[in-house]
Amino acid sequence: MDYARMKFYCDEHRCIECDGCSVACAEAHELPVGISRRKVVTINEGIEGKEFSTSIACMHCTDAPCEQVCPVDCFYIREDGIVLHDKDKCIGCGYCLYACPFGAPQFPRDGAFGAKGAMDKCTMCAGGPLETNSKHERELYGQNRIAEGKVPVCAAMCSTKALLVGDAESIANIYRTRVSARGHGTVGVPYGWDKAYTK
Amino acid sequence: MKKIVYFFIATLALASVAYAAESQIWGEMRIPNILGYGQEQSLKLGEFFTLWQGHYITTIFLGILILIPTVFGIHYLIIGPKTFSHEGKKILAFSLYSRIVHQIAAISFIVIVPTGFIMVFGSFFGGGEFVRICKDLHGVFTIPFAIVVIPMFLMWVKDMFIHLDDIKWLIIVGGYLSKVKNPVPAGRFNAGQKTWYWLATLGGIVMIATGATMFFMDFDIAMVKNITGLSQIDTLRAAAILHNLVGFAVVILFFVHIYMAVFAIKGAVQSIITGYMEEEEVKILHSSWYRKLKKQGKV
Repeated sequence: MDYARMKFYCDEHRCIECDGCSVACAEAHELPVGISRRKVVTINEGIEGKEFSTSIACMHCTDAPCEQVCPVDCFYIREDGIVLHDKDKCIGCGYCLYACPFGAPQFPRDGAFGAKGAMDKCTMCAGGPLETNSKHERELYGQNRIAEGKVPVCAAMCSTKALLVGDAESIANIYRTRVSARGHGTVGVPYGWDKAYTK
Repeated sequence: MKKIVYFFIATLALASVAYAAESQIWGEMRIPNILGYGQEQSLKLGEFFTLWQGHYITTIFLGILILIPTVFGIHYLIIGPKTFSHEGKKILAFSLYSRIVHQIAAISFIVIVPTGFIMVFGSFFGGGEFVRICKDLHGVFTIPFAIVVIPMFLMWVKDMFIHLDDIKWLIIVGGYLSKVKNPVPAGRFNAGQKTWYWLATLGGIVMIATGATMFFMDFDIAMVKNITGLSQIDTLRAAAILHNLVGFAVVILFFVHIYMAVFAIKGAVQSIITGYMEEEEVKILHSSWYRKLKKQGKV
């Protein structure tokens, strides 16, 4: 069976820096204070014509660098490309953060002696390795909306539909349509995709 | 005791500075970190770290873990241990102070080295609670080592500078390739011990600094930034790379040190426990020091 390849795309021409995605994510997954799986950033702030905002989280990269460096092999990549990890295996060493081009992995300080606890990152609302939609899965990884057939909460809540998530082909089609509808700019690689999906 | 208290306060202060500051990784700095990743003019530490950690580090550690004991095994079978009379006179080689300092460092290493290996081979152990406890022990046992590393450096430094004997010693590999008990050119410490001393103290400080960097992770200390000239995320990447590279050397010489003290020279480990070395052992393995002691009328 052929699986779709799931990707994130944030249209910087549409993102209005409302932070809705980030708030929706934190609320939906009941994240502790200090952890934000998704963050809205403004690039080239104050530079006229160059300033834009975009929403960043784990990009669920092809050949994910985090998966390559993990000393306990706690990462696993689903057939549809979603990069997940097992918090019961994770030792909180921080290596995935060093490897990540997007600064996505985060560490709550809940271990012994204030040590880093298990890593937390965006799951593309696909939970973790525990029983799907179990209480335990929800506590550790948040909602598993993918299993319920729902769109990840950040993209679902995006008011301008800047943030898109879905199979690579559909996303690329929307991207192309939007670029040509604007009448300027070239159809290149969407922002962030060069680092995440070129391999 | 005072030192321990001060160290604890300093650590806590450092930790609070670290957490009070604006995040250097997930705050505003995240933008330049992302934009800078993989850029031509950057050091490409992110990619370099991924390549090294992803492909080589575990293999190299495994190689060390297999190769070094194998070499010792062959050496033990072919050449065998050196045995010195334990009946003769004894020479005081290590004061009580130096023994205590050494033993604190020794206990630290005995915990730090195996727990480090367990983390490197974390996937073999299946991760989880066991490897997590080892990670915590790896950090906790750094504290006693951090306390004694400077006293250890100072107490032996005057005997550790390079000497003509050291070159002669290196040429004959300390006489360990022959069974004959000829006097070996060495002062109070031989070239091998000197190498280990510099690596364990200066390399040890590098290990503490890089390890602490990774432990505290998200801190903002101007001094560190001025020294490295790197962003926090690149400092972490450099720390991880350096910790592993220096780790290779520390682990190799730590194994050598254990082999020498426990296996290659029968009963040599006693000298750091009781402080006394066998006269014959000094006469052969530290011949220049023996001559000096004789001149001074101490033996």
